[in-house]
Amino acid sequence: MYDFIKDPSIYNFVRGPLVWIAFLVFIGGSIYKIREMVLLAKKEKVVYPYMDLKLSLRSLLHWLIPFNSRNWRLRPVVTTVTFLFHIGLVILPVFLLAHNVLIYESWGISWWTLSEGLSDIMAMIVIGCCIFFALRRIFAPEVRFVTFADDYLILAIAFLPFITGFLAYHQWLLPHKIMVILHMIFGSLMLITIPFTRLGHMLYFFLTRAYMGSDQGYRHSKDW
Amino acid sequence: MAEVSVKEGVETRDWIELKRKPVADIGFDETVKNLTTEKIEKVVNAVLNIGKNAARFMAPLETCIHCALCSTACHWYLSHDKDPTYAPVAKVKMTLWELIKRKGKVSPEFMKQVARIVFCECNLCRRCSMYCPFGLDIAYQLGMVRRICFILGLVPQNILDQTHSLSATLNQLWLTQGDWIDTMQWQEEEVRAEIKNVRIPIDKEGADVMWCPLGTEPKVATYHIARTAKIMNVAGIDWTVSAQDGWDSANMGMFIRDMETMQRVVRGIYDNAMRLKIKRVVLTE
Ligand code: HEM
Ligand code: SF4
Ligand code: SF4
Repeated sequence: MYDFIKDPSIYNFVRGPLVWIAFLVFIGGSIYKIREMVLLAKKEKVVYPYMDLKLSLRSLLHWLIPFNSRNWRLRPVVTTVTFLFHIGLVILPVFLLAHNVLIYESWGISWWTLSEGLSDIMAMIVIGCCIFFALRRIFAPEVRFVTFADDYLILAIAFLPFITGFLAYHQWLLPHKIMVILHMIFGSLMLITIPFTRLGHMLYFFLTRAYMGSDQGYRHSKDW
Repeated sequence: MAEVSVKEGVETRDWIELKRKPVADIGFDETVKNLTTEKIEKVVNAVLNIGKNAARFMAPLETCIHCALCSTACHWYLSHDKDPTYAPVAKVKMTLWELIKRKGKVSPEFMKQVARIVFCECNLCRRCSMYCPFGLDIAYQLGMVRRICFILGLVPQNILDQTHSLSATLNQLWLTQGDWIDTMQWQEEEVRAEIKNVRIPIDKEGADVMWCPLGTEPKVATYHIARTAKIMNVAGIDWTVSAQDGWDSANMGMFIRDMETMQRVVRGIYDNAMRLKIKRVVLTE
């Protein structure tokens, strides 16, 4: 097994085509899913007539600020964890030095990067948040009641790229090269699954909030 | 209740936690006897008709991350000592989610349980949508399940009867036009004992305001009519009530998602407002 993974052709495949496929599926799939939902919503009599750009943005902005909404304030721990988790999840991969180096090697472009120390802390935060979410699923009764295997699965899909990336950076547990290959596989898996699982909440968040913000704003009330 | 779950093969853990005292309601207990799995399947698939009119329940189902942050919104959850089976997302899980997952192939007993959850354990108040980070419209989803139940006839008897009354008479409590006009005139006399020459103008064309009470007011709470008359008179409002059917603003069709009756009730009120050339409609609430 080790020999198989260590084979350079595996590394080359994962680093090249697999990452390409992952990005294409992620971007293509996202556009497809959003388009499908927008067209589906058009068939409803009462969605489009109420949509309002200003009210939608008002609602989106309000909910993207921590502790701004009543429910964010009522649950300070969950709110803190949710925001730290998602900030790490989105910012870290984009501004990681190692990712930038790869992109520079391929295309000769790069952008602003996080320091290695900060990246390490952010990775630990994301990993810690995943563990918190898992514990919440086990111990909070209202969450446990609606938790099924797929909920752990999508949590694991978000968790694996970060834990493997973290271990690869520190060169722990498995030889560096193997860990990097695993990291790339899990990273690709996450990108590919985002549009087609409930990880797609990243996409629909903007649609469902816009709808509720418009629907409530139209009645001169707020949705927070 | 737990027995039902075993038979149904639903994830048993859920249904063991769902503990409810039995409540007798012929709207559930009798109609359930006429149901078959085939009938249920047909209705579920007709109502949920995936692909058409589906955005408003498919988007929430595909977005909901099962974080249960909506639970703090729900008075059912809070007033039952945070019993997880009353959380908004749990109610969706136990009803709509199961119906979609099993493509409507569920037993009548299961459907009865679903009906009890959507009619008797949620008010469709939409507070949970104000607490969900995604603003998911749970009330709409559970409302669609109510529609499935309504078409199957699984509706609490009291509210079903009131909807039948609305569909036959456009008022909630089987009042005839004679009963209605008579009650208004009787209340006019009552108020005259306190305010001289007070009027409850019936069918006054061109009035500013048309008042539409709830059917319960002429039927069992006539003193509301007297009070409204006093307020309107003291405030000097040019008002009237309609003599023709379409004066009742109680819309039970809306609650049980009998959309056809719901639309006729609203239409009845608008028709009267147009007929009498009214500027404003005032409803009891
Ligand atoms: C950028 C747009 C995104 C927004 C607005 C967003 C929003 C949310 C919200 C509001 C929650 C529920 C809060 C909670 O459970 O604490 C949540 C949970 C979660 N999000 Fe996101 N998210 C986004 C992107 C992502 C991405 C890209 C992923 C991973 C691929 C992801 C993975 C998760 C996971 C795994 C949970 C569930 C945590 C649990 O098990 O309770 N999110 N997200
Ligand atoms: S709409 Fe139903 S589930 Fe949501 S808060 Fe109101 S009663 Fe609870
Ligand atoms: S708060 Fe929203 S996303 Fe979370 S469980 Fe409730 S409905 Fe689903």
